[in-house]
Amino acid sequence: MGLVDKGRLPAPLTKLFNMSRSYSLWVYQWGLACCAIEMGAAFGSPRYDVMRLGVIPLPASPRQADFVCVSGTVTDKMAPAVKRLWEQMPEPKYAISMGSCANCGGPYWDSYSVTKGVDQILPVDIYVPGCPPRPEALLEGIVLLQQRIKNEDMAAKWRGDEFTTLQRTRAVEAGEVDRDGELIAETHSISEDPTPDARPEPIVVGGGPIE
Amino acid sequence: MSDDTTTTEDAPAALPGDGLREGIVDDLRARIGDALVDSHIAPNDDVWVRVTTAGWRPAGEALKAAGFTYFCFLSGIDWMPSPYGKGEDDPDAEPVEPDTEIRQGVTGGETRLQVFARVTDLERHVGITIKADVDDDAPVVDSWSSLYAGANWHERECHEMFGIGFNGHPDLRNMYLPTEFEGYPLRKDFPLLARMVKPWPGIVDVEPMPAQDDEDAGAEGDSS
Amino acid sequence: MSLTDRQQLSYIASQAADARLNVELETEGMTLNIGPQHPATHGTLRIICRLDGEQVIWAEPSAGYMHRGYEKLTEVRTFPQVTTLVNRIDWLGSFANEVPFILAAEKLMEIEAPPRAQVIRTILFELSRIANVSLFLGDLGVQMGAVTPVFLAFRDREYVLNLIEGATGGRFHPNFDRIGGLKDDLPKGWIDETRQVVKKLMQFCDTIEDLLFGNEIFQSRMRGIGVIPADIAKDYGLSGPNLRASGVDWDLRRDQDLPLAWDKVDWKVWTHPDGDSWARCWIRLQETREACKIVEQLLDQIPAGPVMTKVPRIIKVPAGEAWVSTENPLGEMGYYVVSKGDLGPFRVKIRSASFNNISIVPWVLKGVYVPDVITILASLYFILGDIDR
Ligand code: SF4
Repeated sequence: MGLVDKGRLPAPLTKLFNMSRSYSLWVYQWGLACCAIEMGAAFGSPRYDVMRLGVIPLPASPRQADFVCVSGTVTDKMAPAVKRLWEQMPEPKYAISMGSCANCGGPYWDSYSVTKGVDQILPVDIYVPGCPPRPEALLEGIVLLQQRIKNEDMAAKWRGDEFTTLQRTRAVEAGEVDRDGELIAETHSISEDPTPDARPEPIVVGGGPIE
Repeated sequence: MSDDTTTTEDAPAALPGDGLREGIVDDLRARIGDALVDSHIAPNDDVWVRVTTAGWRPAGEALKAAGFTYFCFLSGIDWMPSPYGKGEDDPDAEPVEPDTEIRQGVTGGETRLQVFARVTDLERHVGITIKADVDDDAPVVDSWSSLYAGANWHERECHEMFGIGFNGHPDLRNMYLPTEFEGYPLRKDFPLLARMVKPWPGIVDVEPMPAQDDEDAGAEGDSS
Repeated sequence: MSLTDRQQLSYIASQAADARLNVELETEGMTLNIGPQHPATHGTLRIICRLDGEQVIWAEPSAGYMHRGYEKLTEVRTFPQVTTLVNRIDWLGSFANEVPFILAAEKLMEIEAPPRAQVIRTILFELSRIANVSLFLGDLGVQMGAVTPVFLAFRDREYVLNLIEGATGGRFHPNFDRIGGLKDDLPKGWIDETRQVVKKLMQFCDTIEDLLFGNEIFQSRMRGIGVIPADIAKDYGLSGPNLRASGVDWDLRRDQDLPLAWDKVDWKVWTHPDGDSWARCWIRLQETREACKIVEQLLDQIPAGPVMTKVPRIIKVPAGEAWVSTENPLGEMGYYVVSKGDLGPFRVKIRSASFNNISIVPWVLKGVYVPDVITILASLYFILGDIDR
């Protein structure tokens, strides 16, 4: 993969890679509370059948997973375990936060023992709101995640800066970069400025920007 | 269906009446004497007794001997009104003087903290709630854990939530909260910080109720 | 229960063999940590077992990974808001969680729901029992390596969830019960649909009985494992099917006087004398059937009338204390509500079934073999929200 190392991955190849990645996702399910049952219904029941989307539930361990679905209430006691799980997953990795509790604390927004949102401990790509979200909503979240993966600029991702094709288009429109990705203005330096763990804007199912 | 199973079709002969409840209280008084401070019977419903702090464990023993073998729950209660209110009052409204008077519930009491438990007699179909005062300065009562095995976890929970100690409990470790957690969450003077820093979101979009239709809205209520 | 001489002899022989082996191998103790995230724990329970060879010599569940502080939060909510919280305690049988709280509030206010609401409440209560226990029955197979039952359970549970959604608008957090009655009446056609679904669920029970309960592997993994005698069960406050499987005839639906409709129909309380894992599962299977029967009969006797009594628009509950408990899918779920005459409760003690049911784990796991840990836990059937609250 020398091309990748040099950061020059031809676009068709990127597309192919992204396509293959987005349709062979292993999902690690971190079911914590009530939402876990709806997640179970989405992943394990014949009515919703997540495998038709190219997503395979139940990997043996987080080390084999491509994305994690955090569903349910994250408590302060649980948070270190969630963080460790996230660290165990290999890059590239994505996170879906399912349910109001994982998004922001939900009905327990004022509780003394609940973490107000899993995004405090790991970067979330997709938020699925609802209490609990219907399994269909989770499936839509997964589809959105697949779209995001398809739009990803892998070379940029591996270089460490997060710059999806859509963001590039936007940046071009905004006049920050020219068509080849070269910087126009000094103010927004792509290769140095973004912190290594800066991630793209999260998506909210049923609202917000959709890539 | 195998034949080693049983089913029951008969309902209990009769549900317990207040006579039975009075009998229970009298029986308990005979067993523990002066330790029983007060009792209260809600007609056709339930019975409460209050015992002294020292009488907490003897009362448990007496109840168990009297047939209350089923352990339901044990917990504590803090009778002090919360100094923080609900934290959702209209910020523009006149601040009301917070209520600081401690008023105990049924069967009364003298202290701010109380423990209460409920045990049930499965034969006579009757349950009893038993309360005891806990000294405010040294909140400790005797443990029931060697009496009712189920009390073990309930006492751990109560210790963690109210800071009430239990003499003779094997292991009062925290059960729910991380070990570093400070404070006793269910005491009324424990603030919910999230409510302090952020006003209750519901308060912003309070709309006046639609005009009341007098017929169906029942004028009996207190609609303050 | 008396053992035959032969059983005693074989027990002694196996113990002796074990002892010899231990001397030869010098097995060292080992600590096995199950959870907090393990498929067999229905959520985030962590169980720490100390093992000697294959035998558990000490076990301790470590709860609290799901503690959400309900009891504190109820103190800052108003009475109608509390139902939103409490139906998330036992998240598989949500509607059943609301009922005892509402009943306690109604008791304090000295009102009663109209008869139609009582019957509909009972129907929804039993439907949530079916939804809850059917998932248990399916999950039971997974614990033993059989994956088919869980697909069946998810398939048939969807029918029940559709019904609950049709009536209440929520798949499993309905928040439908109100002080003084119900939010709404039943939708058109719901009763006929329910009749059909109940038939399907009866079939599901038969399938599961064929598939699992008649299975030899299932029987040998379950029979005689994890025996809980009746007096121990009472001491720990076990309730629901766990208690009845130990031969204690106690069902709060029958044994107390609640303004609900169980006394209007013909059904049975099943008990089993064995107290082992198999008995606990078998009782649950029978209870699902009984629940189907209850629903079926109640559908014919829904009285006409309103579903809501007159209650003030702003609900203030008079000062007082009330305890109401009902027989929820997991066992006795009760609320001790203390009101001071305000908009919200002063203190609510939530007595949830799984908390007591799981406190017996250190006792029952002592001396069992590692594979049985999973089946015993499965047969005790707990839900994390119900333990940690
Ligand atoms: S968002 Fe709602 S359904 Fe999901 S875990 Fe939280 S309380 Fe339960």
